[in-house]
Amino acid sequence: MSNDGRWARQVLVASLLATGLSAATFLSAGTDPKHRYEIEIRGMAFHPADLTIAPGDTVVWVNRDIFPHSATHKSLWDTGTLTTGDSGRFIAQSRGEATYACTLHPTMTGKLLVK
Amino acid sequence: MRHFVTLPLLLTLAVPGLIQAQQTAQPDLSDPQVAHVAVTANNIDIDLAKLALTKATNLEVKKFASTMITDHTAVNQQASALAAKLGVTPADNAVSQSLLKGASEARAAIEPKSGAAFDRAYIDREVGYHQAVLDALDGLLIPTTSNADLKKLLVDVRPAIAAHLAHARQIQGSLGGTR
Repeated sequence: MSNDGRWARQVLVASLLATGLSAATFLSAGTDPKHRYEIEIRGMAFHPADLTIAPGDTVVWVNRDIFPHSATHKSLWDTGTLTTGDSGRFIAQSRGEATYACTLHPTMTGKLLVK
Repeated sequence: MRHFVTLPLLLTLAVPGLIQAQQTAQPDLSDPQVAHVAVTANNIDIDLAKLALTKATNLEVKKFASTMITDHTAVNQQASALAAKLGVTPADNAVSQSLLKGASEARAAIEPKSGAAFDRAYIDREVGYHQAVLDALDGLLIPTTSNADLKKLLVDVRPAIAAHLAHARQIQGSLGGTR
């Protein structure tokens, strides 16, 4: 079974939280994030493109490009379209590896490793 | 110099405006003229994308066209804001006119097609156009620009053009034959 498959069952999928939805709204679901990591979107790329985190950590994508973008996994999360200044987040609860992309610019890719 | 190396490739891609620009106008463009070329190049791609939205049949081609409209409009908004800030009026020039002429010819060749043939023709054009724009940025527009803010805008836009080119090539490959 693929890592993605395991995640699909085990990981509490977060996100879809665009700007305007507070972290408190999401965290009230019972999660307890340990660390918050920011991935900056600029110059048609995710910075950093590869990120290693631990279960319970929060990843926030912030769009600082002049173009709209998304950070979208095929099944686990989708920030939706983020315009300039918007952000979206994901909280991972289980170990695994997931590659993701911008739906508007599919050659923009990134990878999260939860271990 | 890069634009001379790539010139034969560009010739085969039939983007005459940018080729002429690189051949004849590299040393002579003023900043207002560079700004006009940039806005013209964006508008050309927006206009063709609008046509693609009405005629394309492949979903990925339609999505690509929509992204081109969004992204190139964003660039033009940045360029307009910068021109206002600098008090500069983009100045029409031979390069812009040549771009428009090339775009008109390309559109005339693409527009009569339909179905999968249109999809392929549009994506082929987008591959060639974005490659030519990249080469023009590197070999003409960025080196020619003296204003730091305008140069920064062009440098900042370059990754988007490269991403568009990669995306277009990806779709081109998925469409199968390119001619």
